[in-house]
Amino acid sequence: MAAPRPGEPAQVELTHIELREVSKRFGSTQAVDCVDIVIRRGCIHALVGENGAGKSTVGKIIAGVHTADSGAVIVNGRPCRFRSPRQAFAAGITIITQELALVPDRTVADNVFLGVESTRWGFVARRDTRRRFEALVEHTGIPIDPDASVGSLGVAEQQRVEILRAAARRSEFVIMDEPTARLSAQERDQLHLLVRSLRDHQITVLFISHFLDEVLDLADDITVMRDGRVVRNTRPSSETTGSLVEAMIGRQLQGSFPSRPPRPDQSQDPVLSVRGLVTACSGGLTPTGLAGESASAETPLVAGLDLDVFPGEIVGIAGLVGSGRTEFVRCVYGADRPVAGDVQVAGGGASRLQPHGSIGAGVGLIPESRKEQGLLMERSLRENIALPHLRQITRAGLVARRSENDLVSASAAGAGVRGGGLETPVRLLSGGNQQKALFARWLTPGLRVLIADEPTRGVDVGSKRSIYDLIAAAAGGGLAVLLVSSELEELVGLCHRVLVMREGRFVAEFAHPDLDETQILRHSFGEEATAGRSS
Amino acid sequence: MTDAAALSRPSGAGRYLGVLARYGIVWITVALFVLLAVTTDGFLTGPNLRNVLDQQATLLIAASVATLTMIAGGFDVSISAVAVAAPLVALRVENATGSVAVALLAGCAFGLAVGATNGAIVAFARINSFITTLATSFIVFGIGYVVSGRSIMRPSSDSFRAIARTRVAELTTATWISLAVVLVAWITLAGTRFGRHVYATGGNAEAARLAGVRTRQIVVAVFALSGLAAGLAGVVAASRTISATPSDDFSFVFGVIAAIVVGGTSIAGGTGAVWRTLLGAFFIAFMVNGFNLHQIDPIWQRIIQGLVILAAVAADAWSRARRS
Repeated sequence: MAAPRPGEPAQVELTHIELREVSKRFGSTQAVDCVDIVIRRGCIHALVGENGAGKSTVGKIIAGVHTADSGAVIVNGRPCRFRSPRQAFAAGITIITQELALVPDRTVADNVFLGVESTRWGFVARRDTRRRFEALVEHTGIPIDPDASVGSLGVAEQQRVEILRAAARRSEFVIMDEPTARLSAQERDQLHLLVRSLRDHQITVLFISHFLDEVLDLADDITVMRDGRVVRNTRPSSETTGSLVEAMIGRQLQGSFPSRPPRPDQSQDPVLSVRGLVTACSGGLTPTGLAGESASAETPLVAGLDLDVFPGEIVGIAGLVGSGRTEFVRCVYGADRPVAGDVQVAGGGASRLQPHGSIGAGVGLIPESRKEQGLLMERSLRENIALPHLRQITRAGLVARRSENDLVSASAAGAGVRGGGLETPVRLLSGGNQQKALFARWLTPGLRVLIADEPTRGVDVGSKRSIYDLIAAAAGGGLAVLLVSSELEELVGLCHRVLVMREGRFVAEFAHPDLDETQILRHSFGEEATAGRSS
Repeated sequence: MTDAAALSRPSGAGRYLGVLARYGIVWITVALFVLLAVTTDGFLTGPNLRNVLDQQATLLIAASVATLTMIAGGFDVSISAVAVAAPLVALRVENATGSVAVALLAGCAFGLAVGATNGAIVAFARINSFITTLATSFIVFGIGYVVSGRSIMRPSSDSFRAIARTRVAELTTATWISLAVVLVAWITLAGTRFGRHVYATGGNAEAARLAGVRTRQIVVAVFALSGLAAGLAGVVAASRTISATPSDDFSFVFGVIAAIVVGGTSIAGGTGAVWRTLLGAFFIAFMVNGFNLHQIDPIWQRIIQGLVILAAVAADAWSRARRS
């Protein structure tokens, strides 16, 4: 990247932030290796790469969360070395990470002006705050109730609060780290509009994302990273999803999906049958209110659903976030108590209202959020995998370590968990390996039904394929799989049958080979919404 | 491999630092032991060490079991109240029946009942465990006054003192009981399915539940066990002094929590070990013993103890922050 030479003054004005030979090492891992990136002012600059490619680290170096070991960060033509987010902030740089940094018990306006309150004699000046807030809403075009408590808002709205907060501080440079990972399709579209309007206001956006379609659609410039290095600086016009994936993983993907195991014979008895399942309004039942989206107030009742799943069958459940997908499978598993209805696992007659009962009957759940509902992050891989199976390996009251090691190492190898030994705490594993650890937990001989809720969320491309392979192989071996996913591609590529949920009901059912993304999407939104969208 | 690259493995030096930090309480306790052995004449003698063991017995009984409660994510401050009231219940029974065995059982049963009640409130009414046990503490202190008629109680027969003060192989029975409790708590936590479920419940209750752990049962059980141990500790203490006095004294639980935390068990739950509590208790005991041998003013002892506890908690918070 050429340094600005005399006679090229335009270059300086166009470039907002430039990274020159920036490197950062964590322990023995070279997270960022001699990276050069030029980010033009007033552009949307996308940063893509697999998990662990170093893109988040680059964002955090610019935002002052991390300090580079070597190299220079040049902001507005001046080399800067931020030692804290506060210093970056002062230079007009804001980062919005996946873990939103808001105070849930305070109002929207309090959060937006946190640290830059209007005060008079040390007291917060309410009228002035209100006036500033209205000006801000008008300027950014983000309508939001200033008095709502932030904790009561959905993820998408909380993100808007963060964006308003950046605007309130007159940030010129906003870094968004995976902003759409937890949003529904609609919310995603709204965020895209917002990002474009930031650009219209001459605010530079560094957009870190997994979703290549949105990157191609949104970005002005794209930087592809792999193993801590920049492998390509490019423009969307000269790329396709395929070419970006190739650049990200350094090879061509041979088909994204494994071959489907043969569709099981439906004349035999189903291994899982659900009859007339009714769930209560969610939120009240999710014991810790962990799943932010599913706890939103407008989540409908899941009303009287029937479902049969046969051994060896992969059944997908599609639907928007909030359609009742997660509530349905949680009730099937016994994580939440249904209001009415019956869940039978072949052979098992006993009523199962609790997860431990389901596990006894051969049902396993990979929950929506691996960090909050799936894994014990501080505990070892061994303990995490063995947790539901301890009864089998307890001898004379004590957990038999040899049986445990046999069970766990076979399971971990089967699921292809890498990146550490069995004693490694799972928090040190990458997202993909953490997800595989959950597969290793359940893919043991006794399992007959596996329920997987968004099993590939936040997982890199390579691990995704391994997870698909695991699901296909397990189904080939006779396991019944119930797969909830927001990624239609995955449902279409993997399932024998896909049920579409909308407002707590199954509104459509498609079977392979008639699976079609557009059809599924149409039914997810309902006809009316689609008419407007597709025009 | 990108998977491997995503792992931030500590480098050689970092790994040694990690081991150093993880077993910090071991090195520090050993160092203190050696220091005192070298700098004082009285420390490394049979009578002094036996005395330290005897004095730590009641604390170890309560703290080793309370470690399980803390790892499960609970915080039991009712240990003090139980340790005050249980011996009063036990002596009341002893005065009525004349049987030391029945008295011991009654004291333990009282502790178990209080603990189970605490656990049930925490697990089913979902009230914060600190607040729950603070509230029940006042009730139990009150029961102590009622049972004793507000006065000091003494056993009717001299054999009550045999519980703690019999000598077996040079050590008191108080010491033997405490070592037995430590051993049982250690094996239960480190080796059994129940122990794994305790870690899982404290580490992430929702994840544990979805993996088939009956987390409410675990919570009730750890509080019940903690109550039982506090009751036993109270009876052993009463046997050592051959009396029990009703009071509102909360100080016992502070010593218990200090031992657990200095050992390195996290107050956030999910990590820790009984052996850590054992070392934490002895570290503090050696420190106090050393102060006495060096004739340091007891006022300074308090201040230094406070600083040590702060340092332990700060080390825990620091290592936690470094991980995330």
